[in-house]
Amino acid sequence: MIHSKNVVLTTLVAALFVIFPFMVRSEYLLNLLVMFFLYVTLAESWNLLGGFAGQISLGHSAFFGIGALITRLLWVGKIPISLALFGGGVAAALLAGIVGIPCLRMRSAYFPIGTLALSMIAQITVGNIFPLAGSLSSEYIVGYSLSSRYYLALLVAVLTVLVVYQVVNSRKGLALVAIRDDEGAAEAMGVKTFRYKILALLISSFLTGLGGGIFAYHQVSYYYYTTFELSWSFLPTLTTFIGGLGTILGPIIGSMCFLALSEIFAISLGEIHILIFGFTFILIVLFLPGGLMSVTQWTYKFSFKAFKRRYF
Amino acid sequence: MGQTLVYGILNGALYGIIALGIALVFGVMRYLNLAHGSFIILGAYGSLFLFHLGIDPFASIPLISILLFLAGAVLFKASFSRLTILPEGNKIKNSLLISFGLMLLIDNLATLIWTGDERSITPSYSGFTFGLFGLRLPLIGLMGVLLALVLISILHLFLTRTYFGKSVTAVSQDHEAASLMGININQTFLISFAISLTLASIPSVLIGLKAFSPTAGIQWFNKGIIVVMLSGIGNIYGVFPAGLFLGIMEAISVFLFGAPYREVTGLAVFILIMILFPKGLFGKRIEA
Repeated sequence: MIHSKNVVLTTLVAALFVIFPFMVRSEYLLNLLVMFFLYVTLAESWNLLGGFAGQISLGHSAFFGIGALITRLLWVGKIPISLALFGGGVAAALLAGIVGIPCLRMRSAYFPIGTLALSMIAQITVGNIFPLAGSLSSEYIVGYSLSSRYYLALLVAVLTVLVVYQVVNSRKGLALVAIRDDEGAAEAMGVKTFRYKILALLISSFLTGLGGGIFAYHQVSYYYYTTFELSWSFLPTLTTFIGGLGTILGPIIGSMCFLALSEIFAISLGEIHILIFGFTFILIVLFLPGGLMSVTQWTYKFSFKAFKRRYF
Repeated sequence: MGQTLVYGILNGALYGIIALGIALVFGVMRYLNLAHGSFIILGAYGSLFLFHLGIDPFASIPLISILLFLAGAVLFKASFSRLTILPEGNKIKNSLLISFGLMLLIDNLATLIWTGDERSITPSYSGFTFGLFGLRLPLIGLMGVLLALVLISILHLFLTRTYFGKSVTAVSQDHEAASLMGININQTFLISFAISLTLASIPSVLIGLKAFSPTAGIQWFNKGIIVVMLSGIGNIYGVFPAGLFLGIMEAISVFLFGAPYREVTGLAVFILIMILFPKGLFGKRIEA
């Protein structure tokens, strides 16, 4: 499935992001890009479970939050950030193993509600245990460098996209898509559906946990429970659906649109960008299940190339 | 302890009414309306607005009901009606997604219009309580129980005694057979959906008398869906006892673990029920 053209293009984009901090000195843009990488990480990992395996989760904020929390606590406890990040991912996967797997036992239509309940439990519990903001101590603030955050976020985002790409373009990916399209039929064909769903959930939550770690590493000070807020589950759902469910490029496009809109309306009250995104989301669920990605396929359909292929 | 139980029962009645609206739509149409709580909050804002005009909150229920009924009908026509032909699993999933988008829309619109401040309706009798055997019974809570009982009786009579109500029951039991018997499914769905939002008007006033903020909808939806799962999908009569059960359970959990974990208990019970009894605790097991 790997086309040489895609590889060249991807490498080019990645290289561009790598040299970007050397060319642009704007901290605003770099921070924006860190958030972009974070959104891509979240959306792409959500997409593995929601888009490819068809298990719509509204509870990824729990995995995001636990990843952020554990990474932060480990990192502040003098453990190197790479290890702390890994610890956050493992913690998220563990949480998914303990409470997410039972949720997968539900009939798949109830999975969203079950995970929503799970994330609300996590939010309330953490809000009760850690009611205060976690600020960095002065030595950490002195040593704060944006470029290390930038590269780590880039690394995690690229890693996520690669992992999802690899999983999807393998035998496992076929099994996941089969489960999404018809679980009963997949089961009848000998696909061990429950096992594959668990696999997708664990990978997805691990990557989301890494994303949480990036957030914890990037922010100087935040209330611990904010990473458990439901908006962190809604964000990947929205961006993936709008970009294109079950595609690799879709979540990236969706994240880009979301970030652009949220920057345009950054100073308004009541989050107009969510308003616009919510409305678009409804329209897309109703009329355009393929998301923005299917629009690009339309342009191909009506392009000269397709015309030539069909008639000449 | 006794006082905690009283509050549990009073809250439980409120949960029962919230769940009634969700159960009607979920049981009959297999639509899961995540935005139900947001509509309750919208109703609460409407009632607050009318209260500032000098109308008593309980007197504003009919007007809010009518508005919510119209909103429901328009909304159903515009979006949810496209899902009627889908198979059950997809129907639940897609209605959930659409209502999820709706919830985001309503919550953020409400924040935009009324800001994120917590508000409440405060008529002169809002703190009034009766004393009975050394227990305090708040007037508003008692009104809630009363309204819940009245509402369930009306709904019962509607579903069993009127022609349209019987068609709703028929569709909930087997919508294909119902359509073969000449029942207009689309119309039934439309009106059931609108009625479900109408039912949101009473909890919206009761919640308005407590306290509400634009983003509180999802919490109330959660209470509702927990009760629906407790009572069993498609079983409208189990909703009220299940609501009381949840209320009392929450009260006991406050007694044991403290107030901050009140919400957690209900949600944890919900997840357990979903895993152990996917069709709900009590009630008829209707297979769709």
